[in-house]
Amino acid sequence: MAGWRGSRSRPGGGSPRAERIPSSRTIQLGHVQPQAPGHRTVFCNDREANVNAKFKGNSISTTKYNVLTFLPKGLFEQFRRVANSYFLMISLLSCTPVSPVSPITNVVPLSMVLFVSLVKEAYEDWKRLQNDKAINNSSIEVLQDRRWESIPWKKLQVGDVVRVRQDAFFPADLLFLASSNSDGVCYTETANLDGETNLKIRKALERTWDYVTSEKASEFNGEVQCEQPNNSLYTFTGNLIIEKQTLPLSPNQILLRGCSLRNTEYIVGTVMMNSMNVPSKRSTLEKKLDKVIVSLFLILFCMCLIGSMGGAIWINLKDYYLQLGKKDSTNTPQFDPNNRFAVFALGIFTLITLYSPIIPISLYVSVEMIKFIQSTQFINNDLHMYHTETNTPALARTSNINEELGQVEYIFSDKTGTLTRNLMEFFKCSIGGESYGTGITEIEMGGAQRNGKNIGEVRNSSIAIREKGFNFDDARLMHGAWRNEPYPDMCKEFFRCLAICHTVLPEGEESPEKIQYQAASPDEAALVTAAKRFGFFFFRRTPTMIYVRESHVEKMGKVRDVSYEILNVLEFNSTRKRQSVICRYPDGRLVLYCKGADTVIYERLTSGNNDLRNTTREHMEQYGAAGLRTLCLAYKDLSLDMYESWNEKFIQAKSSLRDREKKLDEVAELIERDLNLIGCTAIEDKLQEGVPSCIETLSRAGIKIWVLTGDKMETAINIAYACKLINNDMKQFIISSETAAIREVENKGDQVELERFIKDAVKTELKKCHEEAQNYLQSASGPKLALLIDGKCLMYALDPSLRRMLLSLSMSCSSVVTRLVRKGAQRITLSIGDGANDVGMIQAAHVGVGISGLEGMQAVMASDFAIAQFRFLTDLLLVHGRWSYLRICKVVTYFFYKNLTFSLTQFWFTFETGYSGQRFYDDWFQSLYNVLFTALPVIIFGLLEKDVSASLSKKYPELYKEGIRNAYFKWRVLGILAFFSVYQSIVVYNFVLTSSSRGVTSSGKMLGLWDVSTMAFTCLVITVNLRLLMMCNTITRWHHISVGGSILLWFIFIFVYSYISTNKGIFYVIYVLTSTLYFYITLLLVPVVALLGDFLYQGIQRWFFPYDYQIVQEVHRHEPDGSSAGLLEIGNQLTPDEARSYAFAQLPQEKSKHTGFAFDSPGYESFFASQQGVKAPQKAWDVVRRASMRSKPKKPQTS
Amino acid sequence: MDAVAMYQFTQQSLPACKPVLTPAWVTTTFFLVGALFIPIGLVSLHASHSVVEIVDRYDSECVPDLFKSNKVVYIKDMSIHKNCSRHLKVHKHMKAPIFIYYQLDNYYQNHRRYVKSRSDQQLLHGLQHNDTSSCTPEESSNGLPIVPCGLIAWSLFNDTYSFSRGTHKLRVNRKNIAWKSDRNHKFGKQVYPFNFQNGTLIGGGKLDPNIPLSDQEDLIVWMRTAALPSFRKLYGRIEEDLNVDDVVVVNLLNNYNTYSFGGTKKLVLSTSSWLGGRNNFLGMAYTSVGFSSILVAFVFLLLHVRNPRPYGDTSCISWNRKSISS
Repeated sequence: MAGWRGSRSRPGGGSPRAERIPSSRTIQLGHVQPQAPGHRTVFCNDREANVNAKFKGNSISTTKYNVLTFLPKGLFEQFRRVANSYFLMISLLSCTPVSPVSPITNVVPLSMVLFVSLVKEAYEDWKRLQNDKAINNSSIEVLQDRRWESIPWKKLQVGDVVRVRQDAFFPADLLFLASSNSDGVCYTETANLDGETNLKIRKALERTWDYVTSEKASEFNGEVQCEQPNNSLYTFTGNLIIEKQTLPLSPNQILLRGCSLRNTEYIVGTVMMNSMNVPSKRSTLEKKLDKVIVSLFLILFCMCLIGSMGGAIWINLKDYYLQLGKKDSTNTPQFDPNNRFAVFALGIFTLITLYSPIIPISLYVSVEMIKFIQSTQFINNDLHMYHTETNTPALARTSNINEELGQVEYIFSDKTGTLTRNLMEFFKCSIGGESYGTGITEIEMGGAQRNGKNIGEVRNSSIAIREKGFNFDDARLMHGAWRNEPYPDMCKEFFRCLAICHTVLPEGEESPEKIQYQAASPDEAALVTAAKRFGFFFFRRTPTMIYVRESHVEKMGKVRDVSYEILNVLEFNSTRKRQSVICRYPDGRLVLYCKGADTVIYERLTSGNNDLRNTTREHMEQYGAAGLRTLCLAYKDLSLDMYESWNEKFIQAKSSLRDREKKLDEVAELIERDLNLIGCTAIEDKLQEGVPSCIETLSRAGIKIWVLTGDKMETAINIAYACKLINNDMKQFIISSETAAIREVENKGDQVELERFIKDAVKTELKKCHEEAQNYLQSASGPKLALLIDGKCLMYALDPSLRRMLLSLSMSCSSVVTRLVRKGAQRITLSIGDGANDVGMIQAAHVGVGISGLEGMQAVMASDFAIAQFRFLTDLLLVHGRWSYLRICKVVTYFFYKNLTFSLTQFWFTFETGYSGQRFYDDWFQSLYNVLFTALPVIIFGLLEKDVSASLSKKYPELYKEGIRNAYFKWRVLGILAFFSVYQSIVVYNFVLTSSSRGVTSSGKMLGLWDVSTMAFTCLVITVNLRLLMMCNTITRWHHISVGGSILLWFIFIFVYSYISTNKGIFYVIYVLTSTLYFYITLLLVPVVALLGDFLYQGIQRWFFPYDYQIVQEVHRHEPDGSSAGLLEIGNQLTPDEARSYAFAQLPQEKSKHTGFAFDSPGYESFFASQQGVKAPQKAWDVVRRASMRSKPKKPQTS
Repeated sequence: MDAVAMYQFTQQSLPACKPVLTPAWVTTTFFLVGALFIPIGLVSLHASHSVVEIVDRYDSECVPDLFKSNKVVYIKDMSIHKNCSRHLKVHKHMKAPIFIYYQLDNYYQNHRRYVKSRSDQQLLHGLQHNDTSSCTPEESSNGLPIVPCGLIAWSLFNDTYSFSRGTHKLRVNRKNIAWKSDRNHKFGKQVYPFNFQNGTLIGGGKLDPNIPLSDQEDLIVWMRTAALPSFRKLYGRIEEDLNVDDVVVVNLLNNYNTYSFGGTKKLVLSTSSWLGGRNNFLGMAYTSVGFSSILVAFVFLLLHVRNPRPYGDTSCISWNRKSISS
C-alpha cells in the first residue's frame, strides 16, 4: 500500500490504536504500488506517541493551486502549450528590429488568451476547493478527555478513537474495536468501494469488545502494527498488541474509509489515515489540435522559406531610394545586399513574426470555453439524463474530453451495479410442468414494443407482492392456493427444496417481516425469501438443524414449525454446478434435495416422465431467453440403508488428506442419481432500467461493448443474453479453461506443463475461431459473432504472441465475453462502472464514466463523467458526444481555415514588397483579428451547432459511426478547407488590389497602402464570418447576433481607431473609404465571389455525395424539432430484433438452447468460515472478486 | 437571459432555423447572384468606359540619344538640362476636370525599409519632436535633424509637367490633390522643411523651406505610400475640357531617377467617373461572375430535371446502401 502515509497524531486524548487500510479515493486494483518502509506502528489513544511517526493528516485536497502558486504554476501550465509558448517567443521576437510588426500584435492576443485561461483555471480550482471543504468538514465524534467530541474529518489523526453512528461514513480506515451489538459485530455497506449492496459483516476481536463507552474506551491503549497504506481492498495484515499480548488482525476488523455503517447503532474504532491525490486525465484534446497546429506550422515554415529566399534573391543596390547599402541605426544586416545569407536568415525571423497569426492562438482557449460550457450547461443540465428517483443529474467532471464521447468505439462495462442492480429477484418458476409467474422482463418488453404491443401497462397494473428478492405474482401459488394446483405434492417438494437446500443464515427477529437473510450470494437469499413468501418460512439454523415454519401444508391456514435435520451438505462448486442437501424429516423420512444447472440435473434424473422433462426444459428455454437465471430443482427419497452406506464413504472422503475435494465430488456423484425433477426457478438479475434497449442502440451505433464481471461463465453468458449482448442467432466462440483436457493436465499438478498446455490450447482455439470468423465475415449474410472467453484463457491469450490474433478476432466479433481487457489499439475506449473496483478501468480508458446517485462515490471521483443510469449512455454518447465531436471538429477546422486565409493574404502581399516582410495590415488588425473580430461566432457555433436533433440522433444511432470513423477530421477535410482558403485569400487580395489601382473617386485621388489593406481586411472579416454561417446546420438568433456583432465590432473599431490614431498611416482611412462608392461596390463583390466557391462545393457535395446526416435532415426537414418529445422510438425495423427475441426457439442451433442456468456463490467457504470465526484461506475471487473476473460481452460490427 | 431562454439553452432547444441546401436553394441563389451582378457589372463597365485616359511613357524617350545606352549617367549629371516635351493627341472628348497622374512601375514604395522610414510625429510637430529614429537611415544630415526626415520624403518625386494646347497654356491646378485629412491633421501647419536634401546624396525633389508642410501637397501625396510597386499619384488637374484631336504639348523636367532600378515613368491624363478612373476590373468581375452564376444555375437545373436525386431518400444512407449491396 503505497498511497498514503499516516498522519501525525495530536496531543490529547489517548485511546485505542488505529490501523489503517488504504482508503478509498485512489484505489486502483491490480497495481500494488511499491511499499513504503515495511510497516507502521500506531499508538492508539496516544497522540504524543504518534508524533514521531509523522503520519499525514486526514484532510484531502484535490486542488491544483493555492494562492501563492497560482500565478507561477498556472502560467507554467499555460506555457506548456506549444501555441502559447510559440506566441511568447514571437512576442519577444517582435521587440527586435527584425520584426515588421510592433509587439502589441502578439502581446495583446497572448495576454487575452492567458487571462481567460487563468480565470477558468481559478474558477475550476475554486470549485474543487469548495468540494474538498465540504468533505473535510464533515463531523465525526472523537474521544477526547473521556468524552466524545465532534470534530471535522480533517482534524482527525492517526491513533484517535472515534465513534461512528449508524448510516454514517467511516472518516478514515478504522480498526474495529467494539460495537453496540453485544457480539462485536457490525454491518457495513461497501457500495462506495465496490458497488455491492449486500452488507458485509465485520467482527471485532473479542479482546476489544468492551471498549464501547467513552470511559472504557479511554482506557484503551494498544499498539497497532500494520502494513503501510495501500490500495488493495481485500487484504490486510497486522497485529494489535495489548498489554504485551499480540493479537493478529485480519480484514475482518478493518472498516474502510468511505464505507458506511448499517444496522448497528454505533461502533468504536481507531484511526489510520490517508490523504490522496486525484489523478487527472491529461487532455487528449491537445493531441488532436496538434494535427492542425503542426500542419499550420509546416505551412508557415514553407511560407517563410519561400519569402526569405525571395528576399535574398531580390535584394540589390539598384533601388537607391531604399538606401540598402547604408546601415541604419539598428545596424542589422537584414537588408545588406552584400550578405545575402543574413538577409535570408533574418528574413525567416521577420516572416515568422509576420505570419504568426496563422497559428490560432485563441484556438485552445475557445475550444476550452466551448467544452466547459458544453459540460457545465448542457451535459449537467440535460433533463434526459436526469434521474428523478435519486435526484441525480449527469455530471461532467472534466470538460476536456467531451468530443471523445462522440468517437467511442469500445465500451467496457462493469456488470454489478452498472448493468444490473445487483438485486436478485425470484421472478418465475415452473413446477411439475406448469409455469408460474406473470412478470415480464425488460427483454420481453423490448421485443413486444417492437412488435407494436404495449405491455408495459399490464406490468404496472398488477399488484405484485414485492420485497427485496421477490418479485413474483401468480395467485395460483400464493397463500396456499397451490393446494388446488394439479400437482400439490410437487409444489410442496418445490417449496421445501427452496427452504432447505441452501446455505443461508437468518439474522434478527424470527418473524417473516423482520428477518434478514445473510447469504453469500443474493441468488440464494432470493430463493429462501421466495420460500418464505410461499409459506415455507425458514427462520432458524443450527449446525445440524433447519427450522421451517410451514403454512397450509396439512390444511389451509394451518401453521406449524418443522425442524429438519441436515445430515450432509454437498456444496456447490463450479465443476459440480449443483448443490445438495440431505435432510431427515421429523418423521424420519430421508430426502436429498438438489438444485443446480439443468445440464447436470438432467443427466441425473430417473428415466421416465419425459413430458415433465420436456415441458420443464421448454420453460427454462423461455426463461433463459427472457434473460432470467434458472436453476433446476430435484429431490430423491433415500432409504436408510442406502444412505448409511453412502455416508460412510462420504465421511471417509471428507477425512482423506489427499485430493479431498475430488473424492468428495466422486462420492457425491454416487448419491446424486436417479433424481426426481420438481421444476425450475427463474431469478431475475434485475437489470438497470433500459439497459437492453440502450445496449441495442449503442451496438447499432457501431459501438462494441465488452462487459467485465466476476461471475462464472454461465452467469456471464446469462447476463449477456439479458442485456441483449448476445442472442441465439449469433455465432458464439467459446474459449474456456474448463475443458476435460485441461482439467486432466491440471490434475497432474505440474504447473509448468499446465501453463504450456493451456497456452497451446488457447492458441489452437484462437486460430480456429479466427479462421472461422474470417469465413463468416466473408460471407455477406453471415451471423453476428460473439466471443466468450474466460479469465484464465484470456490471460494466455493476452500473451504478446497471441494478442494480435485475439485482437483481430475480437474486432470481428459482435460480442466478446471476457474478463480483462486492454485498451484497444488506437480506438477510443470508454469504461463505465460504479464502484471502487472499477476505478482502475475507469482511469485507464480514454473516457471514464461513473454511475452516480447511489452511495458509491469512488467510481464517480475517478471518472470523467458521472451519470445515474447506464441507459443515459445513449444520451451521453449519441447526443452530447456526437454533437461535441461534431462541434469541436468544425470549430478546429474553422480556426484552421480562418487563420490560414488571413495569413495567406499577407503572404501574397510579401511578393509585392520585394520580400521585405512589410506588413499588409495594421498591427491592431492583426492582433484583434483572432480575439475580437472572429472569436465570438465560432464559440456560439461550437455551442449551438446541431446537425440533427437529439431525438433523431437517437433514432438513427448509425450516425454515430461518423465519429468513430473520425469523418469530420481527416486530412481530406483539411485539404478541402485549405484549398478554399487559398481561393478566398486570392480573391480577397487580388480583387481589392486590382480594383484600387486607379483613382477611386470622381476627385481623382489615389488610395494608399493602408487604405487598400483596410479595404481588404474589411472584406476578409465579412467573408470569414459569413463563411461560418454557411457551415451551420442550425442558425439561431445568437448566430445572427454574433456574426453581425463581430462585423459591426470591426466597423466600430475601425471608425474609432482610424479617427484617433493621427500619427499612423491608418488615420482617417475608413472615412476616406466610406466616402467612395467604390468601397460599397467592392464590399459586395469580394465576399460574394469568395464564398460562391464554397457554396458551389457544398451544393455539389450535398447533391451527389450526401453525408448520412444530410439525408436524415432531408427526411425530417418539415418536422418540428422534437427534442423535448423524449423517448426513443424505433420506428423502422432495420434489424429483426423481434425475431431474435422471441423466435430463437425455432432457430437451428448447434448446441442445445440457452436455458439460462446461472448460480453464483463465490467464496462460500470463507464466508461461512468467517462467520464461525475460523480462518479460511483466501480464495482468489475474494481478493479481486469484483474487480475483474470473468467475462462479458462486447458487441461490435455485424455482417 | 430569462428563465425560458436559459432553459432552451441548456436543453439545447433554442428556436433555430435549419437551412437545408436543397437544389432549389442552390439554383435560386445562383440565379439571384447572376441577376444582381450582371446589372451592376454593366453599370460599372459603362462608368469605366466613359473615362478617357491618355497614357504616355516618357522615361526612355526623354533621354537624349547620346545617353540612350547609359541613362543613369544622364540622370545623375546635374549639368544636363532635363527638359523634354511630349505631344499627346486627344482621341476623345475629355471633360474637365482632367486629372494628371504620374505613374511609376517597379518602384517599391511598399518596401518595409521604406514604409517605416518616416516620422509622423515630426511631420505634425516639426523639430519639437526629437525622436526620429524611425526615419533611419535619413534621420539627420551633417549632425542636424532633417525635416521631413526619412527615406520617403528624401526620395520625393520631382519631375514637373506643364501643358499647353497650341499656344494656349493650360492652367494646372495643383491644389487639393491630397486627401483633406492628411493636409489638416497629419502635416503640421507650422512645420517648415529644415536641413532637407542637404546631404551628400540627393534622393529626389527639394522643398521650399518657406512653405509649411501642410501646404506641400506634392509631398503629402507622395508620402501616402502606395500598396503596389506600380502606382499612380495625382499631380494636378486641368480644369478645361480637351476636345477630340487636340494636341496637348507637355513640357516636362525629367529629373527623377528611375533608370538605376529599371523603373518606368508614365504621364497619365484621365477624366473620372463616379467609380473613379478607368478600371474595367470591377465591371468585368461583376459581369463574369454574374454570367457564370447563371450558367451554373442552368447546369444545376438541367441536372435536376434529367437526373433528380430524390429528396430524403433513405436508400442513400450509407448503412442502408451497405445492407442492400450485401
